[in-house]
Amino acid sequence: MARRRSVLRRTGGGRRIPAGVLLAIVLVIGALALIVARVGLTPGTDVAMQAGDDSAAAAGRVATGPARAGQNFFQRIGGMWNASERVQELERENRELQQWRQLAERLAERNARYEELLRMPADAFGESADIENSIAAQLVLDSGGPFTRTLVANAGADHGVRIGFIAVNENGLIGRVVSVGRRSSRVLMLDDYNSRIPVLGEASRVRAVLAGQATRPPELVTHPYQMQAPRMDFIVGAQALREGERVITSGDGGLFPRGIPVGIARRQNDGSWRVALAAAQQPIDFVRLIPFIAVPAPEADAVPGEGPPLTASSSVSSITRQTMAPPPTAPSTAPAAATPPRPRPAQQQQQPRPQQQPAATTPPAQETPPPATPAAEPQE
Amino acid sequence: MNAFSLRAPSRRALRAWGLALAVASVILPALPLGPLFAQPPLPLAVLWAAYGWAAEDESGWRAPLALTLLGLLHDQLAGGPYGLFVLVYLSAYLIGRIAAVAMSAPNLVSLWGGFIVTALLSILIVVGVERLIVPIAVVPYAEAALITAILFPLVRPLYMTSTNSPSGGRR
Repeated sequence: MARRRSVLRRTGGGRRIPAGVLLAIVLVIGALALIVARVGLTPGTDVAMQAGDDSAAAAGRVATGPARAGQNFFQRIGGMWNASERVQELERENRELQQWRQLAERLAERNARYEELLRMPADAFGESADIENSIAAQLVLDSGGPFTRTLVANAGADHGVRIGFIAVNENGLIGRVVSVGRRSSRVLMLDDYNSRIPVLGEASRVRAVLAGQATRPPELVTHPYQMQAPRMDFIVGAQALREGERVITSGDGGLFPRGIPVGIARRQNDGSWRVALAAAQQPIDFVRLIPFIAVPAPEADAVPGEGPPLTASSSVSSITRQTMAPPPTAPSTAPAAATPPRPRPAQQQQQPRPQQQPAATTPPAQETPPPATPAAEPQE
Repeated sequence: MNAFSLRAPSRRALRAWGLALAVASVILPALPLGPLFAQPPLPLAVLWAAYGWAAEDESGWRAPLALTLLGLLHDQLAGGPYGLFVLVYLSAYLIGRIAAVAMSAPNLVSLWGGFIVTALLSILIVVGVERLIVPIAVVPYAEAALITAILFPLVRPLYMTSTNSPSGGRR
């Protein structure tokens, strides 16, 4: 019967090309044309993909609802078995964390004073990232396919999400929003084949490019939602990089804010470096989408009366004798002419600083011994 | 009548299960159900369908159209690029047609060998797309295609019989 549906007779051969084969050939050509025609389109300009994401996200919410409910139920049931042990463990961790908190607060206070003395610009978590206006969203779709590594979250343009928002979870950086629909947004993950982000070793200050590999090492399969371990390329001063060092975003290129935790540097047997992503420590369920406005390039001409460009994103600061704190015994009512105040940029003056006190009147706190060092290092 | 007697499922029922498996392999990886449902290790069941439907002489328009729709759905759920899975699945269908014509007396081993060749050629197609058109990750697809090829004998009854005549006769 199928042969009766054949539509084309091969010239000279007497055999016919079946209609299905002919249709398949036409569709293959169409698919090739579709791929080629969309080469120039980025996810952000792909209207069809955005509309499809909205529909798929709605279906994904419905489809994953029972699975999530069941997962929570079984987790709750399973947690009841060892509840008392977990309470004891959490109490012990809490005692240790309180010691660490006291130490951290003391060091933060001292660090703030040092920065004030050195007139350092702020270098905190995600500089220029608008943490307060971040948007929390739930993961509803995972690409799960072999070609790309993306996530679809259930917050879109209606919720205020825009292309370029940074996606993080409680552990660290996940990726960046590359496509926004009305009620959904697609996040390009760090381990995607096309992901390249500039990073920095937190202690060694070694700069590198984190390149997604989209490979799937077997050891990662046991951990749910585990992201891949991207490779570090173009490392400058790799010999200074240390095993287990924290890796953060460097802010170079202006796509990511500086200082967001990325993961831990791991040296491979072949000498290359990979990063065990911090965001992959736990299942990725909720994500936080953070607005990010890149630091503008410095003006071509110096703005008169604004002093040195201390508001730039780099940590470079001009250190002069005038910035040194006077000895603690110096009188607080010293004449202004003796220590003329340097002009401060307007933006820096607006930045709130913890414990902002005049350096001339308040000496640095006396060295106090830190609390007893906890036995265990804090988990990364 | 023996209540415990089992009747072999009809060819129609097996094909329906095969189609359901193919659809599930497209949808399940997109749901956040964990790494076991990602591709790889989840096989590309639509490749089985494409090869099986081609070998069963599905010369009507339904098989290519169904493969196109499944490919577009897979492209959408996997985040693109559009047309890539369509190209892979339809290419597997056409390769399967050629293999079916080439094999005169197929058995399970030859059908399996034909599918392995189909999977390898689909990897070559993806490599060609990656080199010439758009940057995509090839290694995970190759892993998924190889897993699909290894598992083929287990699911072969859902898509084709081993006694089929490959040259388009009644199978």
